[in-house]
Amino acid sequence: MPHGTRHRIAVVDGELCDACGLCMPLCPPAAIHMTRRGLVVDPVTCTGCEKCIAPCPVRALAMIDAGS
Amino acid sequence: MPAADVLVVGGGPAGCVAAWEAAAAGARDVLLVERDRAIGAPVRCAEGVGSAGLREFLDPDGAPWVSRRITKVILWAPDDTEVVLGTHDVGYVLDRTRFEPALAEQAARAGAGVRISTEAVALVREDGRWRVTLRGPRGDETWMARVVIGADGVETMVGRWAGLETRVAAREMESCAQYVVSNIEFDPDAIYMHFGPSVAPGGYAWIFPKGVGIANVGIGVVALRADTRSARQYLDDYVALHFPGGTVTGLTVGGVISGVTVKRTVSDGILLAGDAAHMINPLSGAGIITAMKAGRLAGRHAARAVREGDTSARNLQAYHDDWMRVLGDAHKLYYTLKETINKFDDDFFNRLARTVNAIPLQKRTLGRVMTTALAHHPTLLPVAAKLFVQEFC
Repeated sequence: MPHGTRHRIAVVDGELCDACGLCMPLCPPAAIHMTRRGLVVDPVTCTGCEKCIAPCPVRALAMIDAGS
Repeated sequence: MPAADVLVVGGGPAGCVAAWEAAAAGARDVLLVERDRAIGAPVRCAEGVGSAGLREFLDPDGAPWVSRRITKVILWAPDDTEVVLGTHDVGYVLDRTRFEPALAEQAARAGAGVRISTEAVALVREDGRWRVTLRGPRGDETWMARVVIGADGVETMVGRWAGLETRVAAREMESCAQYVVSNIEFDPDAIYMHFGPSVAPGGYAWIFPKGVGIANVGIGVVALRADTRSARQYLDDYVALHFPGGTVTGLTVGGVISGVTVKRTVSDGILLAGDAAHMINPLSGAGIITAMKAGRLAGRHAARAVREGDTSARNLQAYHDDWMRVLGDAHKLYYTLKETINKFDDDFFNRLARTVNAIPLQKRTLGRVMTTALAHHPTLLPVAAKLFVQEFC
């Protein structure tokens, strides 16, 4: 990521997520983790590829700006 | 430090049967761990199984874990043309909240330990064994295991920790949503499958009876082929159209991998089984009996490797080879068929349904339907012929 470039990452909406784990094997860098409190995206590992967004059966994942 | 000959991660059908078979095959210390608070819950599944496969493991007659015996398969084309397939001993819709505990009970009877609310959180190779950190209600505990069987589902961590490639391409992931719907009318002796890209792009919709007037109604779609709706939105629209008077009493969502078995299911002291190794029929999405057959092989090979004092990948490779012979190679064939079916448009399914309905009911089988469909695609005829002989006769 070039310095100063805004990049986007995926986040899980805990209210919508059913913790089915479907997104985990879709994530190329394995940035999505199952925790006791549900699924969590590691913001450092996430590359912003968006492969997890559309397949989520309840659209619990969304892209947000991670800042510069 | 506690030690296990065989440690099974995941208390689904693959894991329960793996622990059962490993203990029955003579492995001395077998431990099955399940992350959730109950074996068999939450249900992430349509709960349908074929009769012959099920009977290899347990007797369904009078069993408390059977929701419904099924004697018919009904296929719906996109325009709702109905095709009834030959009536016989098709299978069962299970109550998985009771079925998996029954499998775990078999594992325990064979001598395996079973722990719920216990998650494997780390796996490190050490002196020819695996150091496994288990996180349970009373904190962390470290176990040493000769063989770890990863039966931990689509989200497998065992596969990742062992360095096996278990990632899934988006085109091979079916996004599924299912409601339990009551107060609806349908034939309670039949499972229904509704095909066509306008109904369920890349997958199909299903009605699997739980009883009279109550069914698992679900849909699986491949997001890359779908419009902007999520699987749940597809399902909401489907239920609104076909069962407007129904009462929804439950929701479940999940992913079904519609690819083929991962290239490597084996590493030093590691076996992957079931969804974790993508062992799902890519044509039907069926995975319960598939997982149980994989679990049976995994348990037996784990016990054998321990007995032989050689748990290397080389010695465990026979598991992978056996699996490919039993079902893995057939899944490759079904994958080819699925790819072809995905090219069909609504009109094709509608015409196919009418063509098949011209075949007398007693001669109508799923194999016949497939071969009729594939007759329009001559390059696939050899594949269709093989399928017809292998699977459906």
